[in-house]
Amino acid sequence: MSEEKTFPAIPPAVSTGIACETKKDSFLQRVMDGFAEFCRARSLFILHYCTGCGAIELPPAITSRFDLERLGVSPMVTPRQADILLITGYVSIKTLKRIILTYEQMQGPKYVIGICSCTVNGGMYWNSYATAKQLNEYLPVDMYIAGCMPRPEAVQEGLKQLREKIESGEANSWEDYFKRYDHYLGNQQHLFGDDWHTPTDVIGEARHYDLLGDESLGEHTVRLEKYLQHHQELGLTNVELEPENKELMER
Amino acid sequence: MSKEIKAVRLDEVLGEMEGAVMQRKRPGRIRVDIEADALPTLLQLLKGRAGYLHLSSISCVDWPEDEEFELVYHVWSYETGVLVSAHTRISKQSARYISVYDLYVPAGFFERDIYEMYGLYFEGSPHMEKFILTEWNGPPPMLKSFDTEEFVRDTFDWKEYNPDWLQEIVAKGGGIVE
Repeated sequence: MSEEKTFPAIPPAVSTGIACETKKDSFLQRVMDGFAEFCRARSLFILHYCTGCGAIELPPAITSRFDLERLGVSPMVTPRQADILLITGYVSIKTLKRIILTYEQMQGPKYVIGICSCTVNGGMYWNSYATAKQLNEYLPVDMYIAGCMPRPEAVQEGLKQLREKIESGEANSWEDYFKRYDHYLGNQQHLFGDDWHTPTDVIGEARHYDLLGDESLGEHTVRLEKYLQHHQELGLTNVELEPENKELMER
Repeated sequence: MSKEIKAVRLDEVLGEMEGAVMQRKRPGRIRVDIEADALPTLLQLLKGRAGYLHLSSISCVDWPEDEEFELVYHVWSYETGVLVSAHTRISKQSARYISVYDLYVPAGFFERDIYEMYGLYFEGSPHMEKFILTEWNGPPPMLKSFDTEEFVRDTFDWKEYNPDWLQEIVAKGGGIVE
């Protein structure tokens, strides 16, 4: 990294009229936020990305034996409607790409739970060439549930703790992905090669959420520049919108 | 055709193949060691005249000291219930062999897999592109010369984990066995 931060080679954002308002720190706002977090913590949809053996503990956890729906947790089939990405077991490098694609499609606030020892440190696949070792190098992980495999009680306990974290407003690691995108992208590029990019315009989203930090842009995000044109053609970025779209947004 | 006749046919076929060394491991299990250039003929005879219709698998062994690959063709007869394993050695220098796809169609998958995992190319096999490791650019990972542990050390970082209870055990002389 150079001394002066000359990185932001990506052009400045054009106002779309749909940017998030900055929070006004009024009493009513705090009450509303607290209420929203209370509700959010009691209605969680999990997208279970069943990569490995830990997936076998989820059917009993979700169905009548342990019945996670008592906690307001229920499975969801699409990433865009899910709140929690549950990664159950070892993550091969090939799978990790799909996990990142899935994760980036989810809408904030989103939480990642790594189940099983393999997501923590590679587990029994510690010396395998094909599996990624630490999930939190590539994605911000809210919580690990260790074990090989953890019993449904442990999954339940983990989800209860996540609920408490959400309620107290501590489960903010999804913001970390935007704030330190360069770090995560760097680790991803280390594994997948310098050409790695996703169809999601993470930097644009970071701008939208007003989460663009000092470490969002850097030497790794510069490599994404050549794909920006493609994003613009597909209308996947808010960096520069087509005039007719802009009118639509302003309406 | 009765079982007996089939069994006789197998002996005939193996008798006809010069240089084939046959060992009966136990009833229903026969090992044949054969030269690489004669192996397709053996398979053809086994399939055509002795009823070995099913190619269960092709396995590959890397022998680093001999600089050779060993290929094992497992063929199975439904009628006699006998599994014949045909072993042959291929030099690592050439690392090329001939496909048996025209005899056994499933061989296409096994050959593709072996090419990916060992780098042994099969001429005449229909699909020799990447199979499972579509996003892998390193050397064939099943080769003995590929040091997985070294690759892992170079590629990944470790999370430090040294809790108090582990330190106590280490202080007593126990702990993780290297």
